[in-house]
Amino acid sequence: MSGEPLVCVRSVSKTYRRERATIGALRDVSLEVGKREFMRLSGPSGSGKTTLLNLIAGLDRPDEGEVVVAGTDVARLPINRASRYRAEQVGIIFQAYNLIPQLTALENVLLPMVALGRANHSRARELLDLVGLADRSGHIPSQLSGGEQQRVTIARALANDPALVLADEPTGNLDDQNAQSVMGLLTRAVRERGRTLLLVTHERNMPQTADRSFELRGGVLRTVSA
Amino acid sequence: MMWMKLAFGGFGRRFVEAIAAAIVLAVTSATVASSLMVVEGARRALNQAVRQDRPDIVQVKSRFNRALFETPRSGNLPPLTIPVYEPLIDRAELQAAVGSNQVVKRQSLFRNVVSGDSFLNIYVFGIDPDLEHEVSSFSIARGRFLSRDDHAAAVLDQASARALGLDIGGAFPIRKADGEDMQLTIVGILDKLELRAAPPRSAEAPSLNPESTFVSSGAFVNIRTSEQVFGRPTLTDALVVAGSGSNVPDLVTQLQEAFRLEPGIFVAERYSQYQRKVRDFVLTLTLFSAVSVVTVLLAGSFASNLLHDIYVDRRRQYATLMALGFSPAKAIAPAVAFGLVLGIAAAVIGGLVAGLLMPRSFAMPSLMADLGPTEPTIDWLVAASIMVISIAAAAVGLASTAVRLVGQPLATTLSEENS
Repeated sequence: MSGEPLVCVRSVSKTYRRERATIGALRDVSLEVGKREFMRLSGPSGSGKTTLLNLIAGLDRPDEGEVVVAGTDVARLPINRASRYRAEQVGIIFQAYNLIPQLTALENVLLPMVALGRANHSRARELLDLVGLADRSGHIPSQLSGGEQQRVTIARALANDPALVLADEPTGNLDDQNAQSVMGLLTRAVRERGRTLLLVTHERNMPQTADRSFELRGGVLRTVSA
Repeated sequence: MMWMKLAFGGFGRRFVEAIAAAIVLAVTSATVASSLMVVEGARRALNQAVRQDRPDIVQVKSRFNRALFETPRSGNLPPLTIPVYEPLIDRAELQAAVGSNQVVKRQSLFRNVVSGDSFLNIYVFGIDPDLEHEVSSFSIARGRFLSRDDHAAAVLDQASARALGLDIGGAFPIRKADGEDMQLTIVGILDKLELRAAPPRSAEAPSLNPESTFVSSGAFVNIRTSEQVFGRPTLTDALVVAGSGSNVPDLVTQLQEAFRLEPGIFVAERYSQYQRKVRDFVLTLTLFSAVSVVTVLLAGSFASNLLHDIYVDRRRQYATLMALGFSPAKAIAPAVAFGLVLGIAAAVIGGLVAGLLMPRSFAMPSLMADLGPTEPTIDWLVAASIMVISIAAAAVGLASTAVRLVGQPLATTLSEENS
C-alpha cells in the first residue's frame, strides 16, 4: 500500500453475547486499506470477517479501538451521520443481496441516490447496463436469478460512486459459473472507477486478483502471502 | 411511486393480516365512536339543562289565589276562579335572605282590558328590564324594550297587540288597585318571548305559543309602573340567581328559613333535578367510557399485534434502507405512512359506520332516567378520539420495530432471518 490509507482500523476488538456465553469476534485487529486498493479478506465461517466489514460500514460499533474511513471516525458517528456516511462514502454488497422485493431492479439501484436526495434515472440505467441487466430493469427481484440479483446489488453499490466498496461474500449464494461472472464484473467495475474494494470471502481458492490478501482466524488477522 | 411501493407494496401473505388489522381497528373505532357519541349527546343534554333550566336560579313565588282577578266592566261574564299570583313577598325580607345574590323582582297580575266595545284577558308583568334580560329572552320586532325610567310604558307581544288592535304609540287602559284607570303606552312589540319560570296559563289570553301550558304572552311594564297598578311594592315572585350551582342548597335553606312563617310563599329550585342529571351523566360517562376502554384494550391490542407482526416482517427492509444511507426517519417513513393510512382509514370507516347506524335518539338505560333520551352526536372530539386511538394502535405496532432499528446495531437487524 502506498500513500494515505482510505480505511484505517486500529486495535479493534469486538465481542458478542450469545445467551450466557461471550464470543470474541475480533481481537485487537489493525488494518489499513489504501485508496484504489483491492483487498481480499478470507477466513472460515465465524472468523469475524463480516463483523469487520460491518464495523467499517458503520453498521456496528467496536468494543475497543477505532475505525477511520476517509478521515471520519466511523465508530463514533451518531446514527443519522452514520447513514449519511454510508450514502456518500460506502457501497455495500450483501451476501443475501438485501434487495427490496417490491421494487424493480432500476428502483433498487436508485435507492442510494434517493437517500442523498438526488435520484438519477439515467445513471441507474447506465449501471444496470454495466452489469448486463439493461433489459431487466423493470423486473422485481423475485423475477431475477441469484446471479442477476447480485449484479443488481453491485449496480446499487456503485450508485453514488462511493470511495469504498464493501463486498460481503458476494458469490456465497451463487454457482461457480455465476460466481466467476459476478466476481469478474465486480472487480472490473471497481478498478475501472478507481475505487477501493474490500472483499470478504470464506473461499481461499478465489481468483488471486486482489492487491493484498488477509486472513481472519478466530478473530485474529494475519497477512496471506501472494 | 417508489415511496408508495415502499409503504404499501410487497406485503404478500401479510396483506391479509393488514386487512384484518384494518377491519378490527374500524370495528374498534365504530364501537368507541358510538360510545363517545352517546357520552357527547349526554354532555350536550346536560349543557342544555344548564342553559334552559338554569339550576343556579331559585324561584320565590306567592301561591295562586283569585285576589287580583278583576271582573269585567262590560259584558255578562260569570264569576271565574282564575289563579293569579298574589303579591306577598316583602322585598326587604327577600333581600336580607339572599344576601349578595342577585334578585330579579317581578309583579305578575291578570287584568281584563277594555278595548273598544270588547274586553280581553291580558297577563301583565312588572319586571326589572335590565335584570330580566339576563334570565329571560325577549325579541323585539318593532320599537324598543322597556327601561327602568319609563312611566306607564308597556311592551306587548304580537298576539296581544293584534288582539287589542294596537301598535307602537297606541295606548290601552288598565285598572289600578285604587279603581282608577292608567293608560299604558306601547313602546315595543315582541315577536318572541321566553319568560323564565312563567306562571301557568290559567285563562284564555292571546298567546305566542298556544300549545304551551305556561304564559307565553302579555304586557310588560317596568316594576315602578306595576307598583302603581298593584298599589303596593310587594312582589308576586322573584328569581334569585346564585353565584354558582353549589350555592343553591344553602340559598334555598336561607329562603325557607326567612319565609317559614309565610305559608303562601314557596321556594322552588331546579338544582336537585340538575344534580340528578349530573349523576346520570357521570353514570353514562362511566358506563360508555368503560365500554370504550375495554374495546380499545382488547381489539386495539389485537390489531396492534397484527401490525407488529407485519412490521417485524419488514424490519430487515427498513434496516436495508438505513444501510444504504437513508436516515432513520426516512427509513421508517414508509412504515409510518402505512400505519397512518391504515389507522386513519379504519377510523374514518368506523366513524362513518357509527354515524350511519347510530339511532338519532338513544334511549338511556332506566338507571339514567333523569337525563332522558340523548341525541348521539359526533363532533371533532369524537372524531379526534377515534383517530388518535387508531393511530396509537398502529404506533404501538410499530414501536418495537422502530426501537430496534434505532437502538440496536443495524448489522444485527440485517442478520435477522425474517424478511
